[in-house]
Amino acid sequence: MKHIGLALRYVFIVAMAVITLFPFVYMLSGSLMTYQESTSIPPTLVPAHAQWGNFAEAMRQAPFARYFVNTVLVAGASTLGTMVTTVLAGFALTCLDFRFKKALMACLVALLMVPYEIVVFTNYSTIADLGLLDTYPALTLPSLASVFYIFYLTQYLTAVPRTYYNAAKVQGCGDLEFIWRIMLPMCRPALFTMGLLLFIGGWNNFLWPILVTNTTDMRLISNGLSAFASESGTAVQLQMAASAITIIPILILYAIFHKHIIEGVAQNGIKG
Amino acid sequence: MAITISNLSKTYSNGYQALKNISFDIADGDLVCLLGPSGCGKSTTLNIIAGLLDPTSGDIGIDGHSIIHEHPKDRNIGMVFQDYALYPHMTVLENVEFPLRVGDHRKPKAEAERIAHRYMAMTGIEEMADKKPGAMSGGQQQRVAIARALVGDPKVLLLDEPLSNLDARLRLRIREEIRRLVKSTGITTVFVTHDQEEALSISDRIALMNQGVIQQYDVPQQLYLNPANLFVAKFLGSPIINLFDLAYDQSRKALTGPTFDIPLDRLDRGRMRDGLARALASGKVIAGIRPEHFLVADAGRTPDFTVTIDSVEMIGRYSVLHFDADGVHAASTVDARSPIRDGDRVGYVIDYGDIFLFDEQGTRLY
Repeated sequence: MKHIGLALRYVFIVAMAVITLFPFVYMLSGSLMTYQESTSIPPTLVPAHAQWGNFAEAMRQAPFARYFVNTVLVAGASTLGTMVTTVLAGFALTCLDFRFKKALMACLVALLMVPYEIVVFTNYSTIADLGLLDTYPALTLPSLASVFYIFYLTQYLTAVPRTYYNAAKVQGCGDLEFIWRIMLPMCRPALFTMGLLLFIGGWNNFLWPILVTNTTDMRLISNGLSAFASESGTAVQLQMAASAITIIPILILYAIFHKHIIEGVAQNGIKG
Repeated sequence: MAITISNLSKTYSNGYQALKNISFDIADGDLVCLLGPSGCGKSTTLNIIAGLLDPTSGDIGIDGHSIIHEHPKDRNIGMVFQDYALYPHMTVLENVEFPLRVGDHRKPKAEAERIAHRYMAMTGIEEMADKKPGAMSGGQQQRVAIARALVGDPKVLLLDEPLSNLDARLRLRIREEIRRLVKSTGITTVFVTHDQEEALSISDRIALMNQGVIQQYDVPQQLYLNPANLFVAKFLGSPIINLFDLAYDQSRKALTGPTFDIPLDRLDRGRMRDGLARALASGKVIAGIRPEHFLVADAGRTPDFTVTIDSVEMIGRYSVLHFDADGVHAASTVDARSPIRDGDRVGYVIDYGDIFLFDEQGTRLY
């Protein structure tokens, strides 16, 4: 009985792994097929000869390099921006005493409950009124602060004794010096998780960039890919190659930092 | 540097009055203890001196110069916290030199390190320079905290219950070390503690506080031998002072109680205070008698009263005899070699010259 239970458990785990991994594997293998192989019935699983040219062809048909640079810039800038605003807000909410602090916290909680789809409209009209449509600021401005991460970091910082701040003050340390030399090193794990998840979130961002950009040069990789899927018509093998190109950087990030990402998600219930 | 604290009051935003108009002066180079039960305002006072709290009113001067509106970082104060607040991501050396490496008067790395090493040598932690605080014992962390507090050559050193996280034996040693250290540097020091023994042994002067008021500010000896009021008499001394509610009998000119009487003519006239006559007129007086002032009557001397000993508690250099004085628990101390055992009848003589009398409000009368 015990062995059967164990066997069933393994069968279940393996089945789940296959279901999860199959699309990725098929995408990679599809990106190396010929057009005939990718559309044949019954489907080909492994191409007869790896068609590395698919990648070059996909890159030639759409400016993926440009998308890539755009995405790195935008995701990088919003990650950096959010980190800066979050750290400053987290410091203020934990170390400083000011009037209406509790009311401010309550407002932040309330903001957390507003769905993103509602904010998108007001953000769009703001950006449009500022005349920033189809620019890099339009892509980054709305994601330079995050109530969620402010909350996350504040929560983390409340566990750090206040005496560190008091000690630093008495020792002649200014607030910015305290943040830089003491607070940041002490909450490094939290910041690391935050940075990773922010960057991945920025990379996968789809709705916002498609709203505020309309020229090809301003597209991010996710929009570029979806545009390519309709523009390339039925060239499935090229679509697969393009998809592979777009997710490889994120896969590399996962491969290097999977421990941190999983820990961060598990501890804080952040959706990755 | 001399510290002048004048009319300091602090009311917290929830309405709690932590300090009620306290004033006292600390002479240059003195080691002063703020002593009292929790919630008495001692830590509040310390934090106001450090600038970590703003007072509701009042002023603090260091060498005649008011610092009350200065930011903590500009006050040039060294402080040791109860939990030490050593930065866990820095080594001992980095912790100690930290105050020299931040702020407007930042020193070059090499100079800061040289100074840090001098203070680390002084506190005996030099060989631990590259360790992280997490890998050190409580006593070692304590020394790092002291070295870090002194490294900036502050005008004033503040210590907030620095010994409370150490075990008893270490506490004795470190408190002597602290005294030696601050006396050798000559720095004016304010030390907060709730431990009377710590305060009595280490300080030049003690400010005993209760409910936001300084009850007595004096040298340790005077605090014990000459308490200003009932609170001071009760707070200091171990075992705790014995208290008896006595009534005044006009006809016999004596304070009378169920176990013993105190005839007024046995008291020292020179120690009597102004309020005594008024209290006697009201008829009620509280007598405070320290355990060492109940003397076991030698053979041939008439005891003032005789009781049965409930239990004998051996402390070390003395023993405590517990007895019941008609409903009031009382204790006396005797030499450790005393043959007295549980259940023995013992005759006591009261050392009238050293007893205290208080009125019902706790004001000292004798």
